[in-house]
Amino acid sequence: MSAGAALLPMRARPLGDGQVLIVGDAGRFFAGSVDFLDRLDEGALSAPDMAFLAGEGHAIREGDELGANAHAYGVAERLTRAGPLDYLILVPTLRCNLSCSYCQVSRAGLKQRGFDWSDETLGAVFNLLDGLPGDRIKIEFQGGEPTLRPDLLRAVIARCERFDETQFVVCTNLHELNEEILELFDRPDLYISTSLDGDAETHNRNRTGSAVGTGQFLGNLRAVIDRYGPHKVSALPTIDPANPPDIGALIDSYAGFGLDSIFLRPINYQGFARKRHKESREQGAAWRAYHERFLREIIARNWADRSRVLEETYFSICLRRVFQPGRDRHVDLRNPNPMGVDYVVIDHDGTVYPTDEARMLSRSGVIDLSIGDVATGWATEKRDLLNLHATNQFDPACQRCTYQPYCGRDLVDDIARYGRVDMPRLETEFCRKHLHIYDFIFRLIYEEDEATCYSLSRWLRLDGTPPALGTRLA
Amino acid sequence: MIPLNLPAMAEAERPFITRVRGRRTGAAEPNESYLVDETPEGATFAGPHGLIAIDGVAASDLDGDVILVQPLDAGRAEGTNGAGGASRAERVLRAGSPHNTLLVTERCDQLCVMCSQPPKKTHVDRFGLFEQACLLAEPGTLIGVSGGEPTLYKDALCGMMERVLTARPDLEFHVLSNAQHFEREDIERLRNPLYRKVSWGVPLYAAEAALHDRIVGKDGAFARLEESFAALLMAGARIELRTVLLSSNLDALPALARYVAVRLRFIEVWSIMQLENTGFAKNRWPELYVHHRDNFGPIAAALDCTAMQGVPAQLFNFPRCTVPQPYRHLAAASISDWKRKYMPGCDDCREKGQCCGFFEWHPDDDALAGVSPL
Repeated sequence: MSAGAALLPMRARPLGDGQVLIVGDAGRFFAGSVDFLDRLDEGALSAPDMAFLAGEGHAIREGDELGANAHAYGVAERLTRAGPLDYLILVPTLRCNLSCSYCQVSRAGLKQRGFDWSDETLGAVFNLLDGLPGDRIKIEFQGGEPTLRPDLLRAVIARCERFDETQFVVCTNLHELNEEILELFDRPDLYISTSLDGDAETHNRNRTGSAVGTGQFLGNLRAVIDRYGPHKVSALPTIDPANPPDIGALIDSYAGFGLDSIFLRPINYQGFARKRHKESREQGAAWRAYHERFLREIIARNWADRSRVLEETYFSICLRRVFQPGRDRHVDLRNPNPMGVDYVVIDHDGTVYPTDEARMLSRSGVIDLSIGDVATGWATEKRDLLNLHATNQFDPACQRCTYQPYCGRDLVDDIARYGRVDMPRLETEFCRKHLHIYDFIFRLIYEEDEATCYSLSRWLRLDGTPPALGTRLA
Repeated sequence: MIPLNLPAMAEAERPFITRVRGRRTGAAEPNESYLVDETPEGATFAGPHGLIAIDGVAASDLDGDVILVQPLDAGRAEGTNGAGGASRAERVLRAGSPHNTLLVTERCDQLCVMCSQPPKKTHVDRFGLFEQACLLAEPGTLIGVSGGEPTLYKDALCGMMERVLTARPDLEFHVLSNAQHFEREDIERLRNPLYRKVSWGVPLYAAEAALHDRIVGKDGAFARLEESFAALLMAGARIELRTVLLSSNLDALPALARYVAVRLRFIEVWSIMQLENTGFAKNRWPELYVHHRDNFGPIAAALDCTAMQGVPAQLFNFPRCTVPQPYRHLAAASISDWKRKYMPGCDDCREKGQCCGFFEWHPDDDALAGVSPL
């Protein structure tokens, strides 16, 4: 190494083809050749090597205070700063009019009593909303089936009038649609989230259990898309990896509704799925191969038809985290991932959970992960105890992992699968899943294939398509 | 074009600040002058500093403006008078306009090849007057500060902004500065939360030191700028990075974008600016001006690079119809109202409201060639 410059920490991972992916602590990366690794190893970096490394923020020349500060800034940018509470996931009722095979919430029957918010709980939610410090709010109505209680949805939405910026999401099975519900949906700041498992047959098998029910759902989905346009509606397919739907048919069913974003989700190891889909604890090679085939297929389709951009939502989230630190508010993948700070879940009985998965897990009787209740608050010792472990910064495996700057931490997922938070990281499904996604992302980046680059650029929300997305050092 | 400096006569012998109003209807405000007479030639106002007669403008156009009145004698004595020695009224803060700029000095320590406001050697300290003007600003106003180089008087500038922002937390400042004068010692001062209301517009023309230095006409400017950036970063300062497009730095733009994405990630936004045909640029126009419609490649590459790395960028002084469609949303309506014009063809354009148009002094032959209504 030349005198007068210091290398910053870099981590390496094979890319294939004699190339090695190098990533710095601020998440900046390049593909280095094996020759480069040899020069590095022998302390024989050339002047052009050093110019490249300094320019890319992997080395700091003596006296380069801006370089040192910029590096510190880049590392800090990789850490989530959770702001004040401005995102609530509300469960006004646990009752549901469907009974899906992998229901994640341990639903209650349509006619059961005691599974809806009481007046006291509604009052406490009002107090909470009135006391929030910020001027924006996002509320997601979960269930059960929240549209069974349009009166509660209306009351909460009315209470949010004081905020400058509001966004509401109703997570609904769209099984029943009536004038009262549509009137609620008419608000421009309200979005609809639903489940569409693929073609009618798959949806039928997984969810409604009858062709009539599926027909009713598909009719209602068409009705809301016709009424509002596809931008207002998002849908997720839940995939049974043991029996995944045909990729082409799945994409066709989404594209047919004008839905361009598909959030491919393997069955979550939660709720009823723990009993009925035991194999969903680990996702295995078959799922990962399916995911890759799915991505390849939408890349091909995007290239063939430039009039629309299909994307797999979670892949795009991971991709953006490689290039654009701090831009994504997706709370399932961030680091640190503090719980009960900027968002919480309020259950049908007023109990507060850090995440929706924590609610399901508690409901399944695995472990009580409630952190408080809406009336008395959740700044509890239990919450603080959880948050001591809500970071990947000090995990010995993560500290050695090339992808640490892009990755996150999900305590609840670990507890759900293994009953503990101190599993060796590499033995967790969370780790395997993300290692695979990031390996795949960098393979795609360095394929430098025109069609691939085109899709990646769209998913990164670029206006143009650069000839390459990654740099190289020979 | 909206005139900013108007011929005026005043009873007072010293420069002063006042807000001019229409005819008085209620009790007089202490800092306001009210219309007492209006003729086709101009309007006369009366206020705490006596009578002011302003020529060449209708009283209704001035209503609410905060003006700096520079009487004849004071103008001569201080040698500041841009209007050739006559006494005048400067419309410092025009009511209802988002484009108000305080010219705090005309001295500068750089000599940029395209400077739109060529520097002068002398300085007249008007910070006290500007401070009074700021205190009279309409609620929520963003006040521009320009020069010359304002930070040549860093302490006076910062003192003025700190006092104004303490008294008027609703105001904001945007200061154009070559950032040749920030140092570690400033970090504590700039960390004052008052500076959340101050953004600094700082020019950087290339990632290559020699090229940047050549453009700004000062050896070592790039290195000094990096030193300032190191301090500004640590202060949490808000930076709008500015790059004027020139023939000499067009091809260096993608490398600059990479530099920004790696080393200047803390900026709020990067503005790539098309050239203004005034000042030094007027005589050097053919050698400096880039016909960006025919040379958009390097600009696009730069914009893709910063967008990819999550650094926001925007295009200033790029008429929307001259920018390829995918990048058009980045072209802001950046030209101040008082020096903006549109071409005859622009009237039919659907995007005129979002478009910067052209500088009043932009060559018509070039502009006409460029307009194609959207």
